[in-house]
Amino acid sequence: MELDSIVKDFKAKVCEQLRVVPEGNERFRVFTPFLFEDGDHLAIVLKKDAGGWFLSDEGHTYMHLTYDLDEKDFGKGTRQEIITNALSTFLVADRSGELVSIVSNGQFGDSLYSFIQAVLRISDVTFLSRERVKSTFMEDFRNLIEAHVPEESRAFDWHDPKHDPEGLYSVDCKVVRRGRSPLLVYALPADERVSAATISLLQFERWGLEHLGVGVFENQEEVNRKVLARFSDVSDKLFSNLATNRDRLGRYLTENLVIQ
Amino acid sequence: MSTLLTDADIAKLIGERKQLPASYTAKLGLKDKRGHKERELDITGENGSVFRLILRQSSSNILDFSAILAYLPEDSNQTFRLRRCNGKSHEHTNKLEHQTFYDFHIHYATERYQTSGLREDAYAIPTDKYADFHGALRCLLDECSFDEPVDPNLLLF
Repeated sequence: MELDSIVKDFKAKVCEQLRVVPEGNERFRVFTPFLFEDGDHLAIVLKKDAGGWFLSDEGHTYMHLTYDLDEKDFGKGTRQEIITNALSTFLVADRSGELVSIVSNGQFGDSLYSFIQAVLRISDVTFLSRERVKSTFMEDFRNLIEAHVPEESRAFDWHDPKHDPEGLYSVDCKVVRRGRSPLLVYALPADERVSAATISLLQFERWGLEHLGVGVFENQEEVNRKVLARFSDVSDKLFSNLATNRDRLGRYLTENLVIQ
Repeated sequence: MSTLLTDADIAKLIGERKQLPASYTAKLGLKDKRGHKERELDITGENGSVFRLILRQSSSNILDFSAILAYLPEDSNQTFRLRRCNGKSHEHTNKLEHQTFYDFHIHYATERYQTSGLREDAYAIPTDKYADFHGALRCLLDECSFDEPVDPNLLLF
């Protein structure tokens, strides 16, 4: 195909899909080929008020985003950055949720291009609403203990009835070993749980309760370094995650139950 | 959206009876947000599936609205949009069919759009079943197996 034909084809395609249709007094709907990810086209209206001509989405863009996101999330973190940058880069104003681009010096085409780019960039924030599958870590932890420790040797959510009748310092699972100190096993999905486990183990030390502290992390790499360091000081054995340590943890529990 | 539902799953969820709570119209009264009004209501179906009614209405354009039935999968924080009744404020293109139109339209969740890597409800059909927001909500309730609450006064007779 000749270059001229290619250019003609491009122009025809773009022009053909760009339409402006009257929708009342000094109001036109602007149809473009640009889409949100669900196949809906951008909503664009060209209107005139006392200040002159302007393009507006009439609140559609943010409303469309709220199908997937909470409106409050637009004003926080990376989403806010993306939106603020898009608005300032393409000179689009946010008038209480309505996106508006003023047409200056009769440059309708420029305003339209800027407006489209701003809206498309803003719509990218939906890709930040990544899937977060609910963790099955606690359930997996419990299942693994049940598979390797007989019922009579384990106590989930144990606390010391003598020193701590209210259960302020609990253990995810106490594993009783005949003639030896028990294993106090903690499932550690997040920093808060690691800190709580550290406090509990320190309290057991203070009460003089013999034990071996065991920590099983959901993902040790995600734990704050200081929080991890404090827990390491008071525990005896760590498993960096459950997913790749199932066999190792299973063996550890089984071996520790063997009467020596 | 990462939950993949087959057409049979989708039909089953649409067909699951959903009891609307007493005074549901008050619970669905729209509240002002920035540039639009919105409201949501969670409803558990007769088989235990959790659904969400999502309502949106532009503050500037009465023809720009959405009445959505979403499903909340148990193992996900994402909603899966089963059906969406949209107003007439924008064109829609069905990417797989290369079909574009400008009208009131209803989005349908489909297996083939999901397997093509597109949004679950990216397929839509123009409709004349409604022409305003309230009509769209009524259409959604009628077509997605919602049961109206029984009026206690009627039980007297």
